[in-house]
Amino acid sequence: MRVRIGALELRSPVMTASGTFGSGAEYSDFFELSRLGALVTKGVSFERWRGNDSPRMAETPSGMLNSIGLQNPGVEAFCAKDLVWLADADVPVIVNVVGHSVDQYVAVAERLDSEPVVSAVEVNISCPNVDAGGMAFGTSCSAAADAVRAVRAVTTKTLIVKLSPNVTDVTEIARAVEAEGADALSLINTLLGMKIDTRSLRPTLARGAGGLSGPAIRPVGVRMVWEVARSVQVPVIGMGGIMVAEDAVEYLAAGATAVAVGTATFVDPLSAISVIDGLQQFCAVRGIDRVADLTGAAWPERTS
Amino acid sequence: MCSAHRPALESVTVISNERLAEHVGRVVFEAPRTAAAIRPGQFVHLRIARGAAFILRRPFSVFRAGGGKLEVLYQVVGAATLALAEAEPGDGMDVIGPLGHGWEFPGGMAHALVVAGGLGIGPMGMLVEELARLGVASTLAQGAHSADRLLARDVFEDACRHVEVATDDGSAGRTGLVTDLMDDLVAADAPDVVYVCGPEPMQRIAAAKAAQAGIPCQVSLERLMACGVGVCLSCVVETTSGLLRACVDGPVFDASEVAWVGAGEAAVRQ
Repeated sequence: MRVRIGALELRSPVMTASGTFGSGAEYSDFFELSRLGALVTKGVSFERWRGNDSPRMAETPSGMLNSIGLQNPGVEAFCAKDLVWLADADVPVIVNVVGHSVDQYVAVAERLDSEPVVSAVEVNISCPNVDAGGMAFGTSCSAAADAVRAVRAVTTKTLIVKLSPNVTDVTEIARAVEAEGADALSLINTLLGMKIDTRSLRPTLARGAGGLSGPAIRPVGVRMVWEVARSVQVPVIGMGGIMVAEDAVEYLAAGATAVAVGTATFVDPLSAISVIDGLQQFCAVRGIDRVADLTGAAWPERTS
Repeated sequence: MCSAHRPALESVTVISNERLAEHVGRVVFEAPRTAAAIRPGQFVHLRIARGAAFILRRPFSVFRAGGGKLEVLYQVVGAATLALAEAEPGDGMDVIGPLGHGWEFPGGMAHALVVAGGLGIGPMGMLVEELARLGVASTLAQGAHSADRLLARDVFEDACRHVEVATDDGSAGRTGLVTDLMDDLVAADAPDVVYVCGPEPMQRIAAAKAAQAGIPCQVSLERLMACGVGVCLSCVVETTSGLLRACVDGPVFDASEVAWVGAGEAAVRQ
């Protein structure tokens, strides 16, 4: 079940998706975190971010909208509390890094570089729920390249870049950040969406629009992973609506090297573990020796 | 890793499911682990159906727990609670629980006033039973739209020293808001603590009345939530200590710590 992402060798290809797992403490009541391929934390900014007004969440068909707005205590508090707790967790830690400006991304990445508990950073240039930064960096090739180049210069960790689906051509962005030294790409972040409350005739979320996640977006994620994985050399981490192992198989066959489970964890805290067990079973039944052999299995040149 | 009071996932079975009033029901689950672990004011995060278009769990106060059973009062407000209303004995579901910070029982308490509006009666069964067990005399002020929506009165007639009701349409008790009952009850009983649950505007009024009388007040707040365990930050509540999570820091809060400005939206949006 081992896969390689940059300098990281993971015992399993299944991670948690940022923002759906906190820093792990809450879900450690439910399973041993060491079973995960990696734990991806909630987004961490340089200073404390308050997040958006409530309501911040709305359920939609086969999914949910959120506009949390990356509420987090800032990198110092994160290092003092979350990383100290994670030091004993025996799981590779990938810290999701957010900022309103290139300087802020750099400041967080720089601060994390001296933390041995951190295995990799995931640069989040794709959050749709903040006014400045976030997705603004992930929807323009030059802005994405600027952010990644600056972070690459200050981090020795494996550098993952999380891409937005809210673009016309995701492969352009993917190639731009690969050229700046990204070790891997993760996609997709949430899709911009909106729900209207038909009683008040106002958007249900205080912010108006939010990010759509859950099984509703899986086909979009699978398609984008297919496109990106065929356009770049670096490994792709696929995510978006993975609920069960077969969903992870779709992403792997589309070209992903690893996958992340997000919204499914809210539904069932053991989802990531079920996906790991199910993948193992899938490989055993199909006589697949290494899960890495599934990557790109659906590509035309592999199936002809 | 799984100490008795930590939240866990438990498969549960519907034992009974009855309609109490229009759009209101009571479901009883066989849920031995959660029933043994849960404290008054805590909640469970219930997965009602699999394969439905709604995928998220729904948080429910536990009305009563004991003998391996959980009793939940619910109101049909959407597709998920409609599915719950249609559940039949023998149906399987699962809960995450017990969750959250429940009611506090300060030492030296002699008398408590319990104020519940509508489905705000939901977390009050365990509360009044615990108060009775502790030897605290409790008075319930219960409000509802009409007499037929004053739920589970038998439980309170048993456990409370005194019950007063108010209805919007005057079909039982005083005509008006449940909070209209408070002034007389506070004067008569001099309660040491006021416990409140109901629509947020009603909670705000009840909290203000308690504050005016100088009586500590606890409120159980309702918020939309996704994870229920403190991760997703959907259910945050503005407090004097900043944003706190209703699912782990609440649902019960000290009313004096809740920043009520702008409150009420949650109730309107239900």
